[in-house]
Amino acid sequence: MTREELIEKWLDHSLTPEEFEAFKQLEDYEELTKMNAALQYFKAPTVDVEAAYDAVQKPIQKDTSKPTSWFKPLLRIAAILVIGFGAYLYSTIPNVTLVETQVADKTAIELPDTSAVTLNAVSSLSYDEDSWNENRKVNLEGEAYFKVAKGATFSVVTNDGVVTVLGTQFNVKQRDNLFEVFCYEGSVKVNYNDNPVVLKPGQRFLILNGKQIRNEKEMLKEPSWIRNESSFKSLPLQEVIQEFERQYNVTIDASNVDTSEVFTCSFTHTDMEMALQSITLPLQLKYQKKQNSIILKRD
Amino acid sequence: MPKSIHENICNEGLFSKIFQKHYQSLYAYLYYKFGDYLNPEDKTQEAFTKLWQNCGKVKPEKAKSYVFTIGNNLMLNEVKHHKVVLQHRQVKPKAHTNESPEFLMQEQEYLQKLQRAIGNLTESERTAFLMNRIEGKKHKEIAAILDISSKAVEKRIYRALAKLREEIKEL
Repeated sequence: MTREELIEKWLDHSLTPEEFEAFKQLEDYEELTKMNAALQYFKAPTVDVEAAYDAVQKPIQKDTSKPTSWFKPLLRIAAILVIGFGAYLYSTIPNVTLVETQVADKTAIELPDTSAVTLNAVSSLSYDEDSWNENRKVNLEGEAYFKVAKGATFSVVTNDGVVTVLGTQFNVKQRDNLFEVFCYEGSVKVNYNDNPVVLKPGQRFLILNGKQIRNEKEMLKEPSWIRNESSFKSLPLQEVIQEFERQYNVTIDASNVDTSEVFTCSFTHTDMEMALQSITLPLQLKYQKKQNSIILKRD
Repeated sequence: MPKSIHENICNEGLFSKIFQKHYQSLYAYLYYKFGDYLNPEDKTQEAFTKLWQNCGKVKPEKAKSYVFTIGNNLMLNEVKHHKVVLQHRQVKPKAHTNESPEFLMQEQEYLQKLQRAIGNLTESERTAFLMNRIEGKKHKEIAAILDISSKAVEKRIYRALAKLREEIKEL
């Protein structure tokens, strides 16, 4: 047997005892056994098979609980249903945005289409953000000034009537006995009791105590209240007093005065003393202040 | 091979036997092939976990090649992620006694040479050679694990031996 064959047999661990003797005689023998011995230092570390078996078995045993095999798919179905239902609710329930103002408070709102709304005191405006693109519609209680961006029909729904426009500037005032729409730019359609009226710039639509009141044309750029001043043209004192209360957070006792008297005036929102005078002087009234209430008296 | 009485290995006793028999051997294989850096122990465990999870699909006689293939693939994935160059083997010097310091030094030097030489082997040579020399596996057994012919194993081992001898002589 040649040297090569012996080494190969040695490498296969298949030397017979006689062959092994022959292998020992080889000059390579010492080198090979030395290397072989040294190689044992490189042995892979012994692993803890028992611990590994436990580690492998533990997570598995949980999985083998077969009786609940129907439960998982059921959970999945339930989860899908819940998600689907949630998505349905989310997409169908309107996403209503509500803006409210308190007494002596004004706020400016930008609608999703960049239309601008200024809300006067004690008013509220709401709209559905989700369906805004299909339906430009706001609900209004109180008074607001609109600058509507051009686009589809824009409607303002109030308790008294619906105002529809395409892209203009107008003011809507809806208070207890009063419903007033003033058009500053473009044209505005007011639907009151199913009677559509189209307003041109400078025209006013006014309903007082359920009666329509004619007005002459007035060229105005924007409502005066935007500049912190309330103006009244041929309106009963009652309306003026109510507006005053909304702007100054006071109660006015006007029981001794005829509040149905029609007059024209304006008052500022920034100085109560001055505002009171601008109301009382033309009417020759006197006022008495008591904390948060004001009593109006005949001179 | 005698026909097994078990269709699959979803039997805890059987699985345990397979585990005891091949766990260390798979670990050693991965260790020799990929070194210690990429945690061959974890991959070994993972391979056996997979085996148990898929116990219904694996016949007992296929279990060994199944875990070796899975273990190997897991390591290869890890190598892809890390792109680690594998040269290593921790030398664990034995606490020699009554040897001269000179001998100890020579011994130490020899081991270092050997380590370097092993690192320079190709992965296939190293795996076959170390399984043969350290684990004492015959060519046929290694051939079964590596899924190649015994002849090829023989060649790899012989080539590895020749390379080692040459390199050690050179140095």
